[in-house]
Amino acid sequence: MTDVTLLVPEIVLVAMALALILVARRLERARTGATSVVVAAIAAIGSGWAFSSASPDVGFGGTLAGDGYAQFFDVLFAATLAITALLSIRHVDEERVRPGEFYALLLLAATGMLLAASAMDLLILYLGLELMTLCSYVLVGITREKTASIEGAVKYFLLGSFASALLLYGIGLTYGVTGATGFASIASAATERGLAGNPLLLAGVVLVVAGLAFKIAAVPFHAWAPDAYQGASAPVGAFLAAGSKAAGLAALVRVCIVAFAPEHPLWSNLLVALAALSIVVGSLLALSQSNMKRLLAYSSISHAGYALLGLIPGTPGGASATMTYAFVYAFMTLGAFGVVIALGQRGENLPGYHGLAKTNPGTAALMFLFLLSLTGIPPTAGFAAKFAVILSVVGAGHIGLAVLAVVSSVVSAYFYLRVAVYMYMTDPQGAAPGRLPSTVSVALLLAALVTIIGGVFPDTFAAWTVPP
Amino acid sequence: MTNYPILTVTTFLPLVGAAVILILGDRLARWIALAATLLTLAVSAPLYLHFDKTSTALQFVESVPWIRSWNIAYGMGVDGISLPFIFLSAVLSVLCVSASWTAVETRVRDFYAALLISETAMIGLFASTNLFLFYIFWELMIVPMFLLIGVWGGPSRVYASVKFLLFTLAGSVLMLVGLIVLLYAGGTLDFQTLAGMRLSVSAQTWLFLAFLAAFAVKVPMFPVHTWLPDAHTEAPTAGSVILAGILLKMGAYGFLRISLPMFPDALPLFLTPMLALSVAAIVYGAYVTLAQTDVKRLIAYSSVSHMGFVTLGIFSLNRSGIEGAILQMVNHGILTGALFLCIGMIYERTHTREIAAYGGLFKAAPIFTTLLAFFCLAAIGFPGLNAFVGEFLIISGAFTKWAGLGVMAVWGVVLGTTYIVWLYYRVALGDVNPGLRELRLDLNAREVATLLPLVVMALVIGLYPESVLGFIRAPVAQLLSAIAASPTELAGRM
Repeated sequence: MTDVTLLVPEIVLVAMALALILVARRLERARTGATSVVVAAIAAIGSGWAFSSASPDVGFGGTLAGDGYAQFFDVLFAATLAITALLSIRHVDEERVRPGEFYALLLLAATGMLLAASAMDLLILYLGLELMTLCSYVLVGITREKTASIEGAVKYFLLGSFASALLLYGIGLTYGVTGATGFASIASAATERGLAGNPLLLAGVVLVVAGLAFKIAAVPFHAWAPDAYQGASAPVGAFLAAGSKAAGLAALVRVCIVAFAPEHPLWSNLLVALAALSIVVGSLLALSQSNMKRLLAYSSISHAGYALLGLIPGTPGGASATMTYAFVYAFMTLGAFGVVIALGQRGENLPGYHGLAKTNPGTAALMFLFLLSLTGIPPTAGFAAKFAVILSVVGAGHIGLAVLAVVSSVVSAYFYLRVAVYMYMTDPQGAAPGRLPSTVSVALLLAALVTIIGGVFPDTFAAWTVPP
Repeated sequence: MTNYPILTVTTFLPLVGAAVILILGDRLARWIALAATLLTLAVSAPLYLHFDKTSTALQFVESVPWIRSWNIAYGMGVDGISLPFIFLSAVLSVLCVSASWTAVETRVRDFYAALLISETAMIGLFASTNLFLFYIFWELMIVPMFLLIGVWGGPSRVYASVKFLLFTLAGSVLMLVGLIVLLYAGGTLDFQTLAGMRLSVSAQTWLFLAFLAAFAVKVPMFPVHTWLPDAHTEAPTAGSVILAGILLKMGAYGFLRISLPMFPDALPLFLTPMLALSVAAIVYGAYVTLAQTDVKRLIAYSSVSHMGFVTLGIFSLNRSGIEGAILQMVNHGILTGALFLCIGMIYERTHTREIAAYGGLFKAAPIFTTLLAFFCLAAIGFPGLNAFVGEFLIISGAFTKWAGLGVMAVWGVVLGTTYIVWLYYRVALGDVNPGLRELRLDLNAREVATLLPLVVMALVIGLYPESVLGFIRAPVAQLLSAIAASPTELAGRM
């Protein structure tokens, strides 16, 4: 019975989602829906902490974990969920999305993320990720009047199904060779029976990694991201960039380090290629973007590459660097998306940022902070996180990859700071955007706080990371 | 000595000032900035008064554990090499606030906040005792500078600011990789510990290259100097003064603090190319300076030439060369800062930087022209003024190294005299340019007060060079003996 305590956060979120579905017809205002999501997120974390001493580290026959690793990501997902809800209110009202449906889907997607982070079994992992992705498809296409939204959703769905098939095929092969789906049993079967070099198992590893690389939008599995981010309304884009990527990383880190530990040389080489491609391709393709959501999509592709750097050595220290990266990236990208959202229609395209520092100095300063952090300039959290992952790859002897990563960050400086040039060095065009809604301000300040604290005291968040 | 963490207070006081300005807004911005910079200068005073010149150890040391997982401490301290630059940064910041009093009318609040943040970055950089903190301040400097050039600069300010940003960032990210390799190899980033460590020669060679990328761009050395003329020319006066006065010194300081003590075994390989590039910068920079028609651009290119003297002195690797280089860094900060201030003051009245638009200022603005003449004389190395001593030491160091270097350096001095005297001739002498007749050109009391401290500093250093040399003698001697103790024979491989 104590096993159930492992699922308390998930249960809280699902209960709130069901409640929202029940009252969906009567739910008119987005504010009510968003408030209930924030309440659910806080309750999920609070109850998770309250039960953490009572619950076992692993439960349900070794398929679910409630360890520090899962708790770390629980906090991250709950924060992402709450911030997205705060940011989404105006969009939901203006685009006449039904609040009940929107927030219920958001809650269910977050539940999938929590499951993916605590999964200790490939099948549970698959279930969690599918729950997350299926809800995301609908969230991307939820603004039905917009063709871009539907186009993005269809592309996302087609490519996503393909990736799910890859993942499932990989799980099948792994099960076929080792006879197990639990992470620990896969690893022990591989070492005890000398299966580490088995070609079918290796194929399984490649397919699982490829399927998960799709979730984090690593090149060459990135093609869906720009269209989905651009087509989706900005809050959904923020949720995908911050939450979906972190969930993919959470799954990838645990699978690679626990289940596929004996195959470290293989996946480590795969990750080197994925990381290098993502960093370079993401930065280069972002150069020519003038749509902010698309720009942030390419930026999220290159950040997926940076996050993977930490996983390459396969050490606990490296894994915790990747965890920190996912955490910090979630907040800085939520912040950047938050400014896009705050500016409304004007924020979607680059020219909308002309002279923003004159008309809205506070908003411009926040955006500048997030852009600096995304570029990786100290003293921001983005720099500290980048420092940690590069330290891990240098430790693994990949100095060339480290040089590639930092040189690409100069390329990325060009497109991030182009926004800053528009904000600070040009004159305003058109009417000034109004004051920020208070909910958006709260969300932005929270993101800014994490971005600054993580930069000035890099140990703060790194101390919470518990490698699997 | 003192019972408060003096370096931390000196470093972060301007940052506090910036925060106050951002909160209170445009109206009081100038006065708060002036108060913050003056207060910073005041609290830094015990540094110079209680400094023990005979010791080579770091003084006023503060160390607090900071990032335990990477074994990095928040470490501050000064020695004789860094102290003059902290003083220079504090003084120039006050003068920049004063010089911008009426020159900056738009977004005053943001301007002074950016200026104060850059002061924190400058002082912090020279006070850091570990590479991580050094890097943080190094990068922190880029951001306010980017804004100062891009927001308050001249007509092509955006191009200049983006070019500045990309050049300096491209150099510094390679330093980041070098820093991470050092952290991985040495387990610490403390300057003194790293200097005491001897990595393999090949590691030192690669690391030297990585750090060279950052420092060479910042100095700037030929041929990566091309950002400098654009940035200096387009920046507002205060930006030009900080760029020329302090930012360029950061690269040379990096050579002294990092490259020489940590990678001595790489020096035999790089010495000849570095000296060749220095001489190229001196002579090429001087010839390009001669061809300029824009006053600010002329001074900017002269910086390339003058910083060539600095790197020449450093890589001569002898006492007079390095002491001269440090002195020249201070002198260049004073004189180029002064020249940019002069140009900025006159530009505020005429709104042109074309040399051809001037002429006969001696009749129209006698006070201005007298001060300009003083700084021009100092800049060409007039005996009794500050630059003479530095250049003399560098050239004698270069002659000791190899006579050819000395000859080239002397040729650079001759060219330097030519372009400065010619500039003065075109601007100050002759008949008053008809375009200037209607204008009230001469300086007001605030502007004279802005320039006077620099006059005093130029005179003091010129007449009593020990005022700076006394600080740097002991640490330079220690630096040279540490390099000489390197297992590879320097002389043998030259």
